[in-house]
Amino acid sequence: MKRFLLLAMLSALLPPGCAHNPYPASPAATLAPRYYAQTAVPAVFHAEEVCLESPNITAASPNERSGLDSGSGDSYFALRAPASERKDVEDKSADAELEGEQEVSIADPLEPFNRAMFHFNDKLYFWVLKPVAQGYNKIVPEGARISVQNFFSNLGFPIRFLSCLLQADFSGAATELGRFTVNTVWGIGGLLDPSSGKELNLQKQEADMGQTLGIYGVGQGFYIVWPFIGPSSARDSIDIAGEYFLYPVSYIRPWYAWLGVRGYEDVNYTSLRIGDYESLKETAIDPYVALRNAYAQYRLQKIKAKKSLKPAPSRPGGVTFER
Amino acid sequence: MKKKIACVVIILALNSAPAYAGAPLDMVRVNVDKVLAVLRDKQLGKEAKTERLETIYKSMFDEEELSRRALGRNWKKLNPAQQQEFVDLFRRLLEKAYIDKILDYTNEKVDFTKEIIISPDQAEVQTKVITSSRQVPIFYRVIMKGGAWKVYDVVIENVSLVQNYRSQFNSIMAKNTPAQLLDILRKRVKQK
Repeated sequence: MKRFLLLAMLSALLPPGCAHNPYPASPAATLAPRYYAQTAVPAVFHAEEVCLESPNITAASPNERSGLDSGSGDSYFALRAPASERKDVEDKSADAELEGEQEVSIADPLEPFNRAMFHFNDKLYFWVLKPVAQGYNKIVPEGARISVQNFFSNLGFPIRFLSCLLQADFSGAATELGRFTVNTVWGIGGLLDPSSGKELNLQKQEADMGQTLGIYGVGQGFYIVWPFIGPSSARDSIDIAGEYFLYPVSYIRPWYAWLGVRGYEDVNYTSLRIGDYESLKETAIDPYVALRNAYAQYRLQKIKAKKSLKPAPSRPGGVTFER
Repeated sequence: MKKKIACVVIILALNSAPAYAGAPLDMVRVNVDKVLAVLRDKQLGKEAKTERLETIYKSMFDEEELSRRALGRNWKKLNPAQQQEFVDLFRRLLEKAYIDKILDYTNEKVDFTKEIIISPDQAEVQTKVITSSRQVPIFYRVIMKGGAWKVYDVVIENVSLVQNYRSQFNSIMAKNTPAQLLDILRKRVKQK
């Protein structure tokens, strides 16, 4: 029965094929672009390119079908949007979809300044931070470094807790509160992280102020690279203020003690991630653009994940380890 | 002739239909396991490992889909010959960029969390690479092509590789012709 249905659907949906196919193609190519293309790539190449997504329609309702027929761009959208969101762009032309759809990007009016700062941070990393972290690596075993990271991460509790509250993510806030209590008391002041173990399963909630604004609909604004801090956006720069007020380390006085602790935290953090930045740089053709895009994508996803979390707050939070 | 082709199409479609259940995750798992097996094999030298990984890569990824999406709207600005060359250069670029990192693999564990079916022929397989100090989510986006699931994008820590390259190609193509783009890639591949 299932097979019959499938066959019926196929026969009903495949013949219309690609109504907008600008290239005259053989009937076979229009009939079965996907399967045929494998054996006759050069001949039906263009047809395949345009019709590629038409088999999608097996599961689509009639009104969706017209949209899918409109061009090859659909899949670009489909791949990062849940099916429910796909409808929005259906009737745009293929090109508009490619340009106007969720192409993740960020405005960069300060590009010359940002490039200079990128360069500065790059040198800071390779000339200072990395060699120091490497030396530190040799002296301190990994377990200890992870503990230090846990300790600082535990201190970041106020920011995450307050952000969760502001996001009306009460389950997240409760999780953070539980984590802070458990890790501070049983985790020797936060050096250990017993709460993320299997028994308690309280995972760190990646919440920050920029994300909170994003959830309430504030746009990212323009891209900005801060010296020492790195990539940010106009909106996410609020986290600099957030850290100033809510991160306990910021209250250390005198200033050089603060600087020392903050620097040490960075060295420790870097020591666990040597190679990450290098990878990004080596794999990129234009590292500046690659980092900018990675930042935009990462932030967008962080906001999206939190938004989609709301209806089902019981799901554990993200697993990315980022400050 | 038409009928014959239609028959073949239907047979192919029917054969691939049962594969929908859990197939994307299985495909990724099988290939990742193969990669891990190669990496753990202490008898193989670097060359042999690279060669084997390349074979796995070719069966696991849909190179053309990957390239096409990485270029986005610029794909159509390239003529078929240029497109072909681009596919080739892009593969070499990726290989060059990632092979050392993959070969550096020490003792990470890979968890196959779940698969999300986006549409009958698209899915996302979510995995987690667990190292001693952290967990890195790696998602594979797969598409059904010719009866098999193939990877067309890899999302590492929520950053899509294809989108990331697309932003770079967009910025290059804003100032350059397709021929110049290929030239940049050729130089890049030859470097070092």
